[in-house]
Amino acid sequence: MVHFPISLLCVALLLEIIDWKKKSDKLRAAISILIWIGTISAVVAVGLGWLLASEGEYGGDSLEIHRWAGITTMLLASLALICLQRNKLPLYRTLLIITVFGVSFAGHYGAMLTHGDDYLSSVLPFNQTPQLAASETPDFLLANNGQTLTPKQVEDLNIEVRTILAHNCYSCHGEAKTKGDLRLDSKEAMMKGGKDGVVVIPNHADKSELIRRISLPAGHKEAMPTKGKRLTEKEITILRYWIEKGAQWPEGKMKSIYRVAALEPRTPAIPAATGDLTKPIDLFVNNYFQKNKLAWTKVVDDRIYIRRVYLDIIGLLPPPEKIDAFVQDSRPDKREILARELLNRNDDYAQHWMSFWNDVLRNDYSGTGYITGGRFDITKWLYTSLQVNKPYNWFVKELISPGKGSEGFIKGIKWRGTINSSQRTEMQAAQNVSQVFLGLNLKCASCHDSFISDWKLEQSYAFANIFADTLLEINRCDKPTGKMAGRKILFPELGEISVDASTEKRLRQLADFLVQPKDGRLYRTVVNRIWAQLLGRGIVEPVDMMDNAPWSEDLLDWLASDFAANGYDMKKLIFTIVTSKTYQLPSTSVKEAGDIMANNYKFTGMVRRRLSAEQFSDAISTSFNPMYADSAIVIKLLTEDIKKKLPFARAGFVKNDPFLTALGRPNRETVSTSRTSQANLLQALELTNGEKFTETLKRGAKEWRIKYPTSDLLVTALYRNALGRAPMPKELVVAKKILGANPSEESIQDLVWAIALIPEFQLIY
Amino acid sequence: MNKNWNRREFLQRASAATMAALAAGAPVSNILSSCKGLGGPDSSADTVILLWMAGGMAHTETFDPKLYTPYATGMEGNRVLSTFKSVPTILDGIHFSEGLESIGKVMDKGTLIRSYVAADMGHILHSRHQYHWHTCYEPPQTVAAPHMGSWIAKELGPKNPVIPAFIDIGQRFTVGEAEELKAFHTAGFLGNEFGPFFIPDPSQGLESVRPPVGMDAKRFERRNQLYNELINNSPVGEFGSDYQRESLKRSMEQAYTLLNSPESKAFDLSTEPKESYNIYNTGRFGLGCLLARRLTEQGARFISVTTEYEPFKGWDTHENGHTRLKDMKKQIDGPIAQLIKDLDKSGHLDRTIVVLASEFSRDMMVEGRPDQKVQEQVNQPDILNDLKFYGMHRHFTDGCSMLMFGGGIKKGFVYGKTADERPCKTIENPIKIDQVHQTIYQALGISADTQYEVEKRPFYTTPDGKGKAVPELLV
Repeated sequence: MVHFPISLLCVALLLEIIDWKKKSDKLRAAISILIWIGTISAVVAVGLGWLLASEGEYGGDSLEIHRWAGITTMLLASLALICLQRNKLPLYRTLLIITVFGVSFAGHYGAMLTHGDDYLSSVLPFNQTPQLAASETPDFLLANNGQTLTPKQVEDLNIEVRTILAHNCYSCHGEAKTKGDLRLDSKEAMMKGGKDGVVVIPNHADKSELIRRISLPAGHKEAMPTKGKRLTEKEITILRYWIEKGAQWPEGKMKSIYRVAALEPRTPAIPAATGDLTKPIDLFVNNYFQKNKLAWTKVVDDRIYIRRVYLDIIGLLPPPEKIDAFVQDSRPDKREILARELLNRNDDYAQHWMSFWNDVLRNDYSGTGYITGGRFDITKWLYTSLQVNKPYNWFVKELISPGKGSEGFIKGIKWRGTINSSQRTEMQAAQNVSQVFLGLNLKCASCHDSFISDWKLEQSYAFANIFADTLLEINRCDKPTGKMAGRKILFPELGEISVDASTEKRLRQLADFLVQPKDGRLYRTVVNRIWAQLLGRGIVEPVDMMDNAPWSEDLLDWLASDFAANGYDMKKLIFTIVTSKTYQLPSTSVKEAGDIMANNYKFTGMVRRRLSAEQFSDAISTSFNPMYADSAIVIKLLTEDIKKKLPFARAGFVKNDPFLTALGRPNRETVSTSRTSQANLLQALELTNGEKFTETLKRGAKEWRIKYPTSDLLVTALYRNALGRAPMPKELVVAKKILGANPSEESIQDLVWAIALIPEFQLIY
Repeated sequence: MNKNWNRREFLQRASAATMAALAAGAPVSNILSSCKGLGGPDSSADTVILLWMAGGMAHTETFDPKLYTPYATGMEGNRVLSTFKSVPTILDGIHFSEGLESIGKVMDKGTLIRSYVAADMGHILHSRHQYHWHTCYEPPQTVAAPHMGSWIAKELGPKNPVIPAFIDIGQRFTVGEAEELKAFHTAGFLGNEFGPFFIPDPSQGLESVRPPVGMDAKRFERRNQLYNELINNSPVGEFGSDYQRESLKRSMEQAYTLLNSPESKAFDLSTEPKESYNIYNTGRFGLGCLLARRLTEQGARFISVTTEYEPFKGWDTHENGHTRLKDMKKQIDGPIAQLIKDLDKSGHLDRTIVVLASEFSRDMMVEGRPDQKVQEQVNQPDILNDLKFYGMHRHFTDGCSMLMFGGGIKKGFVYGKTADERPCKTIENPIKIDQVHQTIYQALGISADTQYEVEKRPFYTTPDGKGKAVPELLV
């Protein structure tokens, strides 16, 4: 606490500068007090600091720098104070400026001392660490000195220890990198020690090199870890305690230190209906709300609801006359009726969800590999599958054990020439199948044993071999090892692959095993993806990491088991979600994008989203004028009657272009399972002066000027089409200011442009 | 002690919160960079201009000439190492190939690298080597790898907030292999925000940063005003400080500012004095150099100017190599030399690195690596009975030339050496792509172990963070 008042010196300088500028001395009294407090604190801090340093907890260059910078600062502050007292203003001001520099300098090194030298960068985004299981287990009791540990306690302690090691040490002392010939990721390796000898001596923490090295102050050249965060005192205490207790490492299969989601399905009991809540989703959410002390809010009105379901189910804005009719409809179950109607519009539904699945299955109409025959599209198959609402288990089966039309997914993208062994098409298949269908990341483990999960290199190869005509030699970090891995599914509980069967047969086996009802993971993964699409945030996030904790395990498990019970019917799943009260809650938002993904996220309602590139383009097309000509549709990749089925050239059916790219349509070279909702400059430029949008505005304005000769008519029609409501009087005034009585083409363009860019148009809310 | 800890923890959190709050209201990259800088090395540059010789520029025909053998019908191809005479440069004992005299005269301001070795990826393909050069990662990748310009945009942000941080001049995506080109002209996992701002035709640069064609400044301003009024009157305004609403508004404001800024005039080449314009005007590449110079003066961060890749065009000579290279040299020699001179004169060269590079080199006989047999991409007879076979038509990866100027790069320095006899491969100081990237990053003050977590894996600027800068190249 003694350090804080020192910073008052900075405030003093600030006030001094203000006075200086204004050539007054109104603040002099306050400045004087601040400098007194600051200087006295500096003296106290130096005194206490000296004591602390001599106790020997810290050391190294940082300490020395902090020590001398601190003393100098103190002296400077005292001198400044004396000059102020004697009214030597210029000298005092100079000294004060130098002192403030000293404070910052000493402070920086002081912080490095206590927080490690990454104390600033470690709090920045992207500095997250994997979710570990141990954080959920209760704190281990460190105070039972003298007593022997029960086997359970031994195991818990060992997990704590491995968690600490994984977190802080594995990246340099593991399978991938083994600095100083030391590995800390297995009992044998750890006890063997490294190039400088044994690091752990059971029962003797004080003699163990490991403890010595992690206890050294930051900056010391032997301190560990050399990079990244220092271990906390608590972590060091746990490691010490573990060594004191004999450094026990239980035999047999080790419990994972990572959170691992259950594989098998689970059907939680539906809570009893209460009040007006009857639907299972709402009852589970109600439990969640109670547990988290959250309250239900009033569901959204009809206008918001119809806009949401239109955009979420068929990707289009609701036509104004449908909105009016819906609002006037007095049937109590009109929302269910509407949802059902929309889901029954098979082609419109398929056309919207096509973009989502194209991203996920990295299918595109143009891209690398097509010309050289190194890649195959699955467009026709995908459209038909969505259009007939193919049950999800069949959908997955046909992608993994494919016919001609759907083989593009597991065939991957083949570049000519020699490629990294972790990028072979068989490995791509293993990675993509596990990511997309199982929400599981094999990318690390296809190069070396993962240090963010338990997946091993050998398991990745065994899985990839299922897709391979001839067994692949295991390569570690692209170097051949001479070892082979056999053929095995990632979860052996699901079944045994016949190693010698033909590839075709093996893939059939794999597909059958993966879609079994007992593979709960497959179904949790997909219901979570759909939930994330409709509610703006998954029950588990990121959606490709299904081992992370869901915000409601019951809800996730129930959705998955209900999905299975309903014959893997996607539309039924969507219906269940969009007719829940939960979906109808008012939308919510966060202060910044990262908060949505945060671990402490609390669900309170749908997270507001931006229209996707395709939704935005289609919304312009329906409410104003078509963005794309019919000739842009990728007819050749589709069935012949697609032109009749598409109401207009929907953006999901044209090749990617700079306009769609700027609005977030991904380059589908890799699997992409979510799109960002944040706006950026390149996007804004594309919308402000991009050719595509500008041309559409020009074309449309020509037609609209003829169609709507007066401003009132035009503004009303535009508001109804685009925003689903009549303009409010003040909006009409603003619009007419630009349109005048008889709108010109230019003024129409400008009005449409402005409306297309306001949040009310751009967001799903 | 405990109290002290808590206080520090509090401050740590508080500063994180401040960052977050600032980030919501300002371009994130600026804030990130200001903190990252603490850990990074000192910088000697803050702008990069990449002059991209697309299609494979033969070293022996440009910056590393060997014995000249004039054409004679019926000659043995194996005898030909260079099809041009050598000409002296300003550096003692250093010669360039005929046609590059102007660049030769500015070599006292930069470093000549004669030992770039491209990756060994088997089958030689332009697109894969280009991908590798620009991202430092070999395709395909499971994570979309960012272009060097995107890394720099992400780490340092725009130098001038109204000039996009990453500008790509000269490449059209309507040509052959466009998809392969798109695969690396991307910010990848860093996000669109850090992607390239494309100006395919430098003479049309202004189009990209001015109000749409036919819209005058007055109307542009009125439109923007209307937009703001409509936002303020929209009932959805009740969303308050929604981040999406804010980020939308903020980016629209930025676009408006850029399009209205005096800096946007830099994109307009028609305001360049005639005399200077004419020196640069050797075609699209030359004008690209001019645009790069003008943007550098206004505070650009990373600019790439390409001779443009199109299969069998430009440097991609599968036949008529000698004849076509005369043209190529004409295109680049004057503008590049002028760019260096102009930047030097205005003082910008001190903080601007100009890099000239190509994905690989060429040779008349050897395909790929001298000691490795790969499929030959070009049919080249052993006996030349037609002028069209006179030239470097095969892809050669074992020795390529690069130039670097300014921003802390040594002046009048030559690094590396290739053999004087075929195969003219690197025999001294080989330099690889991750070293090139790290050298540039180091000059910019971007720490060598800069990385982001993608799908829980660290993704570094160079694979596994292993790349090391070449200290010899820097002052």
